[in-house]
Amino acid sequence: MNILIAIGGKEYSKPTLDLGMKIANSFEATTTIAYVGKKISQFSEKDVSVVHQNLDDRELYRPGVRTLEWAYDFLESKNYIKKKDSGVNFNDNLIIDEENSRMRLLLKGSHSNKIDLILRTGEIIDQLRSEVESNSHDITIIGGGGNKGMHHKLVQFIDSSVMVVKNYSVNKKYKILLPVNNSLGSNKAIEIAQQFAKSKKMAVEIITVLENKSSDEELKSILKKTEKKFTNAGIKNTASILEGDPVQSVVKYAKDDCLVMLGVSPKNPILKYFFGSKPISIAQQCNCPVLIAK
Amino acid sequence: MNESYKIISSSMLYWFSQKKWFVFSVLLAIFLLNLSTPIGLSVPGYHSLIILLMVFTLVTFEPIPFPAIALLTLVLQVLLGVAPPDVVAASFMNDAVLFVMGSLMFAIAIVHQGLDIRLAKVIIRLFGKSKRLFLAGLMTISAILSSFLGEHTIIAIMLPIGLSVVKNIDTKQTDGKNAVLLTLFSVAYGTIIGSIGTPSGGARNVIMINYLQEFSSIHIDYWEWMKHAYPILIMQLVVAYFVLQFAFPTTLKNIQIQGYKKKVAKSNTKNNINHLFSFVIILFIVISWFLFNEQFGLGIIALCGALIFMICGMVSWEVINKNTNWGVILLFAATISLGFQINETGASSWMVEKFNAMLALMPESDLNLSWPFMAILTGLTANFFTSSATISLLGPMAIELQPTDISFALSAAIASGFSFLTVISSPTAMILYSTGLVSTKTFFKVGLLMFTSSIVILYLMSKFYWVTL
Repeated sequence: MNILIAIGGKEYSKPTLDLGMKIANSFEATTTIAYVGKKISQFSEKDVSVVHQNLDDRELYRPGVRTLEWAYDFLESKNYIKKKDSGVNFNDNLIIDEENSRMRLLLKGSHSNKIDLILRTGEIIDQLRSEVESNSHDITIIGGGGNKGMHHKLVQFIDSSVMVVKNYSVNKKYKILLPVNNSLGSNKAIEIAQQFAKSKKMAVEIITVLENKSSDEELKSILKKTEKKFTNAGIKNTASILEGDPVQSVVKYAKDDCLVMLGVSPKNPILKYFFGSKPISIAQQCNCPVLIAK
Repeated sequence: MNESYKIISSSMLYWFSQKKWFVFSVLLAIFLLNLSTPIGLSVPGYHSLIILLMVFTLVTFEPIPFPAIALLTLVLQVLLGVAPPDVVAASFMNDAVLFVMGSLMFAIAIVHQGLDIRLAKVIIRLFGKSKRLFLAGLMTISAILSSFLGEHTIIAIMLPIGLSVVKNIDTKQTDGKNAVLLTLFSVAYGTIIGSIGTPSGGARNVIMINYLQEFSSIHIDYWEWMKHAYPILIMQLVVAYFVLQFAFPTTLKNIQIQGYKKKVAKSNTKNNINHLFSFVIILFIVISWFLFNEQFGLGIIALCGALIFMICGMVSWEVINKNTNWGVILLFAATISLGFQINETGASSWMVEKFNAMLALMPESDLNLSWPFMAILTGLTANFFTSSATISLLGPMAIELQPTDISFALSAAIASGFSFLTVISSPTAMILYSTGLVSTKTFFKVGLLMFTSSIVILYLMSKFYWVTL
């Protein structure tokens, strides 16, 4: 499994990194930490590139290098990476220009083989989409600081599961909230939740929301099946049935100590683009981390 | 739902979300082409204005690469009957385009020599007595050098000096943050202000000189331009110093001039023969611009600079090729070509007629309103569209306003260099923004003060000083 963690400034990236690495470790996944720098106008892109090379040569470093250095140190301090993971040693930070707007950073001193540090520049959705496409990432994890429109576009255009880390505290104890339904995305969310809960010994609250439709019976049966699956796997769980509007019900039910994991909407992409979808609305309105599985 | 349908529709949506401004500009062009040609405007003239509108939209929102915009501009000129292929091809290459090409290559060659430590030594020797004097010196030297060598060259050399003295400053505290901003803005404003000083300070200056020669047979040489622009540059520097002190009040206690002095003193630059050669080549090129610009053109001389660096083996073709923005060169060539056609087809005269008719509707006043309108218009457009592209497209109209009075054309070119408002307006602004230390909001807030002061200075100088020349 491949996991992509997108980070911005040092101040807000700790929760994203922490939760991202917990998920990556539970799947024993290879991890890429990407810093996406500001979009540069085509008029100035070469001038900016020349200046950045100049700054790197003088160990002043282009924006992002220090953030990735800090991220690496943070992961080491939290024991997500161990000193013994270190591969090749370098005397100075090495920035390798790979392809369109993508640079790989190899840190001076020790650099873990388990983590890829990537610098990108440009429009964030475009860059993350390109990163996921070229490296087949399964989950993209990003902080909740961006605007709502950005999260909508991430879910719409990025070909991986997307987790928006909002209001996450590194030292708090969390449980998984798993709203299930009859979509393919929901099956994927169940898989991810099962693996993560098992690895981190977390409790899971499975819920389904009935809307007084013909599919209500099917939803009840899915809820039972999921409950059984988690019980058989030795995961502490509870199952509840809610009624009403799915978005409002889930948002109301999700507390600050929940990690919501749900499937992507099976709706037509064009309708989703213009009118949104239930999972997107839940991710926008919940005040806790939300993973939308694809 | 069928998975392949979902994938295809999702990809199409993504394409549309990325290219919406391209689709919009095409639809707008089709709509305008179906309207009847405005009275007093020829069909080729009308079509040239439609292409102009498309180029403005595409360059502002960048939905397609610049080389594609350049090629589209050329293709449309022929397809829409603005000019025959030979005429379009002929207007595609001239001295201004050679200057853009030469100055970009020359800049890369200079930056490649690592002259910043050498320059830092000079600045410390001249201005190292106090921190405020050092920052004023940084701004002044940036302005002087940028006026001859262009802002993109000088910002690349001076920014590492600025960043070195603010390294490790805690920007969470206001005093520290202001110290960082004051330093970075001193370098940036120095280079932006400097670029108006001589024709070689910016491509827009050369483009305007070229247009003046072509459209009104007025020739401005290197010295003549300096006589008009350098006093403005000096006044702007003084104003910028106080604007920055006002915008970023700081004690400067965190700035590490002493530490940087020691670091610079340790570096051994004495025996670097490349520095000496670079200095000789730069001096030779600047003197040539002064003495031979009429004979050889500014572009050919700029190309000579890059050529000498390559012949001497001080920079490789690979480095130049990798770092030259060929897309921008193509785009400037295409917009200059369109600028020529806008003039040739009578579209610029028609625009000026409409402009004057609009001014006639204003209440009568002793003040000539066309000057401030034109200067503010070019200044503002340049902030959203970049200066050289603005001049290549609006230059013919500025000349047409007062064909015999160079103050209009000069004012347009100089005002387009006031790129203080947006970070997309010039390479310097974008480089400053790319450091991640300056927000667009801060840039605009300080820039508004600087832009307004600059327009006032330009007006006063054109009214009271230029008339004495």
